[in-house]
Amino acid sequence: MNKRRIFKIFLTTFIISFTILPIILSNSSWPTLARDYLFMHAFDETGASNTVSSIYLGYRLIDTLGETLVLFVAITGTMSILLNLHKQVLQGVETQSSLPPEKRAKNALRTNLVEVVASKLGPIILLFGLYVMLYGHKSPGGGFQGGVILASAIVFLALSTVVKTKLTNSNVLSRIESISFLSLILVTTYVVFFPNGFFRNIATNNSFASATMIIILNIMIGLKVGTSLAVMIIAMMGGQHDY
Amino acid sequence: MIIERILIFLIFITGFIGLISMKNIIKKIIGLNLLSSSIVLLFILEASRIGDEAPFLDDKVQNIVDPIPQALMLTAIVIGVCVTALSLAMAVRLYKTTGSLDITIIKERLENDC
Amino acid sequence: MIVNNLFLTPVFLPILAASIILIAKSFLPVKARRFCEYLGIIIGLLLPIVIVLLLYPEVINNGSLSIIIGSYTPKIGILYNFDSLSLVMIVLTNLLTLPAWIYSRSAGPSHSYFTALLLLQSATIAGISMTCDIFNLFVCLEVMGLVAYVLIASKQEKSAVFAAFNYMMYSSSSMVFFLLGSFGLYRLTGSLTYQEITKTLVTLSAKEQNLALICLLLMIVPILLRVAIMPLSGWLINAHSKAPHAVSALLSGILIKIPLFILIRVFSISPMMQNLTLVLSYIGSATALIGVLLALSQSDAKKLLAYHSISQIGYIVTAWSLALHYGIDTTLGAVLLIAALFHAFSHAIFKGLLFLSIGTATDAAGNRDVYKIRGVNYMLRQKGEKFPLTMICFFFGALSIMAIPPFNGFFSKTLLTYYIKPSINYTILNIASIGTIASFIKLSRIFLPSKEMKKPIKELPTAKFPISIHLSLIILASLALLTGIFAKEILKLLENIFISTNLKSIKYSIFFSKSNILKTLYTGLVGIFLFIIATSKYGSKILHKLRSLKADFTDQYVAFAITIALLSWFLLV
Repeated sequence: MNKRRIFKIFLTTFIISFTILPIILSNSSWPTLARDYLFMHAFDETGASNTVSSIYLGYRLIDTLGETLVLFVAITGTMSILLNLHKQVLQGVETQSSLPPEKRAKNALRTNLVEVVASKLGPIILLFGLYVMLYGHKSPGGGFQGGVILASAIVFLALSTVVKTKLTNSNVLSRIESISFLSLILVTTYVVFFPNGFFRNIATNNSFASATMIIILNIMIGLKVGTSLAVMIIAMMGGQHDY
Repeated sequence: MIIERILIFLIFITGFIGLISMKNIIKKIIGLNLLSSSIVLLFILEASRIGDEAPFLDDKVQNIVDPIPQALMLTAIVIGVCVTALSLAMAVRLYKTTGSLDITIIKERLENDC
Repeated sequence: MIVNNLFLTPVFLPILAASIILIAKSFLPVKARRFCEYLGIIIGLLLPIVIVLLLYPEVINNGSLSIIIGSYTPKIGILYNFDSLSLVMIVLTNLLTLPAWIYSRSAGPSHSYFTALLLLQSATIAGISMTCDIFNLFVCLEVMGLVAYVLIASKQEKSAVFAAFNYMMYSSSSMVFFLLGSFGLYRLTGSLTYQEITKTLVTLSAKEQNLALICLLLMIVPILLRVAIMPLSGWLINAHSKAPHAVSALLSGILIKIPLFILIRVFSISPMMQNLTLVLSYIGSATALIGVLLALSQSDAKKLLAYHSISQIGYIVTAWSLALHYGIDTTLGAVLLIAALFHAFSHAIFKGLLFLSIGTATDAAGNRDVYKIRGVNYMLRQKGEKFPLTMICFFFGALSIMAIPPFNGFFSKTLLTYYIKPSINYTILNIASIGTIASFIKLSRIFLPSKEMKKPIKELPTAKFPISIHLSLIILASLALLTGIFAKEILKLLENIFISTNLKSIKYSIFFSKSNILKTLYTGLVGIFLFIIATSKYGSKILHKLRSLKADFTDQYVAFAITIALLSWFLLV
């Protein structure tokens, strides 16, 4: 740490803090227009009583689409950097997601205790994740949150050797991911291009099926996020993936 | 009132100094994480000043906080997580191919190979 | 109804195509996946161009088309505005992604995620060019950046991963400043749409207005970082030179120009931003000159081309900032904007051509050192290329960037330098052109014959040069020639789009006037002279010293802070 370096760091920090301190410490009042409008109209226009859900799945749907794309690109990039994606492996490879016994000696953290407990906890967390995903319009939660919990549930199931389920098979997971991505795009396109179409009418006129749009979008986002994260973690754990 | 904002500013500066001056790339990634977390906290803190209750429209709720920054910060948090994941993957790859996590040593070794 | 929303299709169609490619990956065998990739490119890249061109008459007659997505209230919803600038951006992006994708079919990253990422990039660029909402701009800029980082790192070699890491750290930390700026603007004005912010800003007190200007500056500097003007361009050298060749062509061609033209909208949020435009023009011309000097000193072929990208973006920034300085509504401002757009378009074509041809040549030679490689043609023939197409396409690109008629570089550089005549920028840009000629003569020495060429060629029986490389090179080279020959028609079209009166403002006689031809000859001769100086012993020593200047990670942030300090000084004082 020579003097020039310390001087550079000090100069940079000084300029940056001088610039941002007025913004952080400003005392102007926070605007209330948006809050008042949403308090009056959010439930009628989207059918959700969680105003945060009505914003990011109703009014600002494009931002959520962008966020889903960010997740997709990041997971693709992470997998390709970690796993040497450029080799084209032909199909027909069997997938294994749990650790075979011969590797167990090297991997000291994968004890039998972890595997048994994980196998018991997995379905419970799966149920919880589905609950968080489906109830996004009434209580805190929604697509992204529920999707991440779903991913952790699938990882728990993959950690166990006792449970043999198709849910930890990479092929099945990537199929669910691509179908949910396509249906998310189709629903978003429909909602954007036909703003007074099917979903909005149900939400505003029919009290039984209100918030249909939000529930469907939540389910698709949750499935997409959950399955893609799970595919990435299972691939990192050693389950093979066909490319 | 003001002490919270000064603390958020200190988190920001800590993250920034960590990002620019630490030589270990994992510490740089942690610095970037601190930077985005401080901005998320700032948004949510400031937006919560105009109301008392969480933004759910039940019958008894009268004075909710501003829900727009909360929705915006959901997106910002996801973007921060994605950038962290990608940068950690790159750090793992750099470690495996050059054998070091120090940015100056990585640069030297890459130049010697090219 | 659907007809009103038709201009949103360039955002949604590529995402739809990417999801079709994903489905094909999971369900179908390998041959069907290839078919789906071609289908995806047609749906995602070509169909939006057709739709946007169909909307062209409506944009000309009615001004811009705008809609709030979902038809919600303007207070909360996101506003998308499609005007002539967005039209040009979308056509530019989609048209120029195509040759890079064709090249990558044989020589670049070939897994099907690459096509999906290209389509997502084109979708976000369409979104950036149409959005009028600052948080949506943040999300779209982050997606564009993430696609760029992943594409750079897809080459799997360690220097590419390090270049992507450096770019990612620098760009993501600057986007945190963008978020802070949007926090300040939302707090002061209560809205996230550009037009609402402009309306509310005039009602604020003076102190709050200054604060809003600082926030706006904190939003502008991260976008300027992506444009890579001089203090902020530390990331570009490694990112563009270590990436795969198709990705370098895309990055240099599209990704450093789109943020610049979007800044026109961000600058229009507050009229006080005019104070910055003159400073930015000087920074632009300084970038052009310094970029060329550093380019002259490089030994790595792709690093040389990357420094030339910085220099050419300096040209574009100079013209763009002078266009804003005079005001886009005035004739001079609109002509400068057209000059900047035309130069951006030509640069994308000839820089793509140069990157792809030099990439092919250095792959065949196995080495990138410009001082050492000779006789590349021989090595290309060993790889199976029967007709020296790569060399011809390289020369098309080199003649374009050196501004020799009849290629498009000549027309775009002449137009640009003519209309910025009365300022010091003119002299600096002319000096930069001399440097460009010198360094490209240096680069083309790799095609000089070497001793190896005397030996007979060992014909490998199955050596077949991939046709997609030739196809992409032919497309770009013919575009370089055709846009040069038909430059007048293209400029007339752009005039129709951007200048609303019926006066024909660009003097087409300037291109082949006596003074211009004399200037081209003069620049060429001084360029050759500079090249001879540069390769002499004394010149080589200076260049060697220049080459060994290094900037590390911390210096990038010092440059970032100095840029913020400098621009805020000019903004508020």
